[in-house]
Amino acid sequence: MTSAEIQARSAALRAFYPMRVIREQFGRSMIALAEQRGDLVALTADLMYATGMAPFGERFPERLINLGIAEQNMTGVAAGLASCGKLAVVCGYAAFTSLRAIEQAKVDCAYNEVKVILCGLSAGLSYGVGGPTHQTFEDVAIMRAIPNMTVVVPSDTIELDQALQAAAARPGDAPIYLRIGRGPEHAFNDTAAPFEIGRARKLREGRDISLIANGPMVVEALIAADILAEHGIGASVLNMHTVKPIDREAVLSEAANVRGMIVVEEHNIHGGLGSAVLEVLRGGHGFPVELIGIEDIYPPIGPTFALRESLGLCASAIVARAMAMPRRN
Amino acid sequence: MSLQIKVPATLADLAEAARINRIDTMDMFAAAGNGHYGSCFSCAEIVTALYFNVMRLDPARPDWPERDRFVLGKGHAAPTLYSALIRRGYMPEHWIHEFEAKVGVKLMTHPSRRYQPGVDASGGALGHGLSIGVGMALAGKIDRRDYRSFVLLGDGEIQEGSVWEAFASAAKYRLGHLVAIIDANGLSVDGTLDEVMPMEPLADKLSAFGWEVVECDGHDLAALLRVLDIGHDRVDAAPRAIIARTVKGRGVSFMENVRRWHADVLTPDEDRLARAELTRPLS
Repeated sequence: MTSAEIQARSAALRAFYPMRVIREQFGRSMIALAEQRGDLVALTADLMYATGMAPFGERFPERLINLGIAEQNMTGVAAGLASCGKLAVVCGYAAFTSLRAIEQAKVDCAYNEVKVILCGLSAGLSYGVGGPTHQTFEDVAIMRAIPNMTVVVPSDTIELDQALQAAAARPGDAPIYLRIGRGPEHAFNDTAAPFEIGRARKLREGRDISLIANGPMVVEALIAADILAEHGIGASVLNMHTVKPIDREAVLSEAANVRGMIVVEEHNIHGGLGSAVLEVLRGGHGFPVELIGIEDIYPPIGPTFALRESLGLCASAIVARAMAMPRRN
Repeated sequence: MSLQIKVPATLADLAEAARINRIDTMDMFAAAGNGHYGSCFSCAEIVTALYFNVMRLDPARPDWPERDRFVLGKGHAAPTLYSALIRRGYMPEHWIHEFEAKVGVKLMTHPSRRYQPGVDASGGALGHGLSIGVGMALAGKIDRRDYRSFVLLGDGEIQEGSVWEAFASAAKYRLGHLVAIIDANGLSVDGTLDEVMPMEPLADKLSAFGWEVVECDGHDLAALLRVLDIGHDRVDAAPRAIIARTVKGRGVSFMENVRRWHADVLTPDEDRLARAELTRPLS
């Protein structure tokens, strides 16, 4: 099969999945959560419209605190609210939540032991045309290095809603970073499938190769697995929506059952999901592991899907890598 | 142990509590071998006035939802706060002599909710405290609780830009139960604020940001009580900023207004001299 044929096949398979706009779902999920939780207070930094929170603002004007273009203060205010019993949800861009206000995320939220839900929207390449200031490819690595921080990367609108619900219900005094996209993405998760922070979801069984992915790369892994199956290669797909705490048992179980592994993420290959998986394996399993991600570069400018494709963050690139990589006997 | 002082304390009792606060601080720094003497002595009266007179507290219930909150923005003055908490009975007295002394002790350079009962916010990185105080005051306003939130900032600390984000937001939400106290001693680590980064005219700046601004002598306990005790009924009002004019190192003559004593090590002779000067309340 030529690469053009693989690309055509993945496009055909991708067409099965409906497109849903992430930030619109975020706004809907926040309204639903606020209806259940009288203690919820949302905070934003002049990004009410950009994070899909305008309908929330109309429905609950007194529960949307708009702090202006000031993410550091927003994160500290969220910590103060949470320390006084509020379910504080920061609704910002991933780039600023994870970089501009990172010291507040560490000191005021994680070290200070208050449960703030830090939502980073427009993450990854979902705002590809914004360029490297607004593309976010280091947030998982940074957030993951902070003790007492949980890191969750939902893979579509359905899982976003589930993750937000789970984060709100999660006991304890630890902040949670939710890495969230922006525009239309493929929706594929089963609304009835149980979601639990810290427990990976197995979406396909296969004995040859394991594809571990999160965020918008999960659907690409699914498509890749379908194409690989058509070529007699059995690929399992593991949706590792929680990067921290990572589901160690799921990683080790994959390692015991397959002959090779590819980890796919919309993030720098340094410090993200791939690194987290390798930390679990610690090189001790004697089989090849490949990482697909952003290769430590400032990505070019471009529309999201074309940009992902140009960087190899797509099903056809996963298929090519799977076919080319060595496998354990 | 807790001081045998009835709260709310009289002015005479407050002066004695502030004196003991400085002695406790000396003892903590003796255990550590060094410390932020100047920064602590600069705010001893402010913290004492809050904890022994102004704040609504119940030391038996550190998590009481109706308590007044205190956030130490200038976290390196934590020993001043520790002394107040110890003398109000939140923490045991023997912790003083374990300050920074070995791995695993409870008291360190900066305050921590994690280890220290009575501390309302962990901190130490400058420029964070006022934002947390804004969040606390906002939660109180949303829930219609009448507790007050006090944040103590250094006048060097307000060089951090995030503090001005917080000043703006407190005015926007009219957090009448929020009080920012600026310990204005005019010195930071590298020199005078005028040399390092001028921040005056502070009163004009804070007024322009929508705060009600008052100035006072930050070592005059009577004056501090007048400006700190804003009452529990300032529901919808401008937040109050208190510019407390202080002397860094106040109470030990050779430390006063001397840059070096932001943080340093005492010789045995200096230690004796300092303790001799702290045998009686400051006039």
